[in-house]
Amino acid sequence: MSNFDLSEILGNPEYVAMLLLGIKMTFVVAIGSWTLAMTLALLLLGLRYAPGPVGNAFVTAYVSYHRNVPTLVQLLLWYFGIFTLMPDPVTFWLNDHNAEAIFAVIGLGLCQAAYFSEDLRSGMRAVSPGQMEAARALGHSYVSAMRFVMVPQGSRNALPALINHSVSLFKNSSLAVAIGVAELTYAVKEIENLSFRTFESYLLVTVLYLVFSLMIMALGAYVARRADPVRSGRA
Amino acid sequence: MNTIAPSKNSPMIALTGVHKSYGNYEVLKGIDAEVARGEVVVICGPSGSGKSTLIRTVNRLEEIGSGSISCDGNNIHQPMPAKELNRLRSRIGFVFQSFNLFPHLSAIDNIAMSPMRVKGLQRDVAYAKATKLLERVGLADKANAFPAQLSGGQQQRVAIARALAMEPPVMLFDEPTSALDPEMVGEVLSVMKGLAADGMTMMCVTHEMGFARDVADRVWFIDQGQIVESARPEDFFSRPQTQRAQRFLSELRH
Ligand SMILES: Nc1ncnc2c1ncn2[C@@H]1O[C@H](COP(=O)(O)OP(=O)(O)OP(=O)(O)O)[C@@H](O)[C@H]1O
Ligand SMILES: [Mg+2]
Repeated sequence: MSNFDLSEILGNPEYVAMLLLGIKMTFVVAIGSWTLAMTLALLLLGLRYAPGPVGNAFVTAYVSYHRNVPTLVQLLLWYFGIFTLMPDPVTFWLNDHNAEAIFAVIGLGLCQAAYFSEDLRSGMRAVSPGQMEAARALGHSYVSAMRFVMVPQGSRNALPALINHSVSLFKNSSLAVAIGVAELTYAVKEIENLSFRTFESYLLVTVLYLVFSLMIMALGAYVARRADPVRSGRA
Repeated sequence: MNTIAPSKNSPMIALTGVHKSYGNYEVLKGIDAEVARGEVVVICGPSGSGKSTLIRTVNRLEEIGSGSISCDGNNIHQPMPAKELNRLRSRIGFVFQSFNLFPHLSAIDNIAMSPMRVKGLQRDVAYAKATKLLERVGLADKANAFPAQLSGGQQQRVAIARALAMEPPVMLFDEPTSALDPEMVGEVLSVMKGLAADGMTMMCVTHEMGFARDVADRVWFIDQGQIVESARPEDFFSRPQTQRAQRFLSELRH
């Protein structure tokens, strides 16, 4: 085996094609689970604020499970546990539609929803109670005060945490390798097996994850700047 | 709903036997008082005497234990649908010690938002009115500034304009100048003086005795949850009737 040589991988069209497919699947899983997570997080937040203790207790239990059980274990439970208990027609359908990727999106999305909903909740709690009072004193209904006063401020407060957790979600998409999703980490393992270029393979995937994560953070910083009325230059 | 048709002679605000407790602690111990239409009442008293609690019961930011409060002919604390309470609240202007401007909105948006969202005013109408109100409080050049870019005095003037935008017949102020640096107190008081001169009915918790002397029709001195004295300012300041008021005034002067 010769010395360090990245071109052994990047010069090989077959390996490059495998890498690109892996990158594509990583983004499919990451974007799919992010969307699911954000949708669920908003529903969980709504349940938190719903009258009565039941919604709040449910969300507390939901958050506790998803934050205290390793994400990898949650994925394994979905794919090797819950999947096998499903009725045959569902199983057949899923197997025809990349069941691995679907369960990766479900597992990661459900888990991340717990983090997103807590981020949003602490963002809401950071809004001064005087804001709600001022809105009510002007005659806003609870819903109107939430919509025009509380949520715009709360979501802005939550942005930094949401961005951090979005980067974590992206990185956690690599866990999907454990249930056989052909994403970036999976592709690199394959390339390493075929090329015997172990160091080059893992160096390459390291750099790729680093670059993508930094891109997500840059995107987040851009969104945060746009959301800040004073710094966005709309003032 | 036992709504009394508001007439020229009926009081704007009437408090009758108002009691309120936090747990076992009785904050308001039977308040009976009236504010006439166009009258300016200044409420003063020692810290913890119940001034904020009292003024906040008038727009029902605080519930009361017993008694009743009417404002512009409406019985504020009777059971009513949330919608009706919101409508009544929109007709009572409230100015907070800590301004509570909406930090995500510019000055003009702060003023125009509620007339649009609560009263359903057209956008151009709401903004035209907000522009006029900004002129009235001397901040026409700050329309697009955000609260964080304004001084305390400017923020409080925007907050007054925001309350006025709902066109309330009555304005409540809870220590509107006590969070301000001394050099900014004057600009807020002069806006309030202008309002009083225009005939606005006002209830102001404040320790600005100069303002009380110049503008108030009446001073209510509150101590331990009761209105201990209610007098014209010249009488209250020169001849306080109770020892508690005498002590309060002498402490204020030192
Ligand atoms: N939410 C509450 N729970 C329990 N006690 C309260 C609450 N709000 C106020 N109090 C108590 O009620 C009393 C009256 O409070 P209030 O804020 O009305 O006084 P104040 O006259 O406005 O005083 P200050 O001049 O300091 O503003 C105080 O003893 C206060 O500690
Ligand atoms: Mg007070």
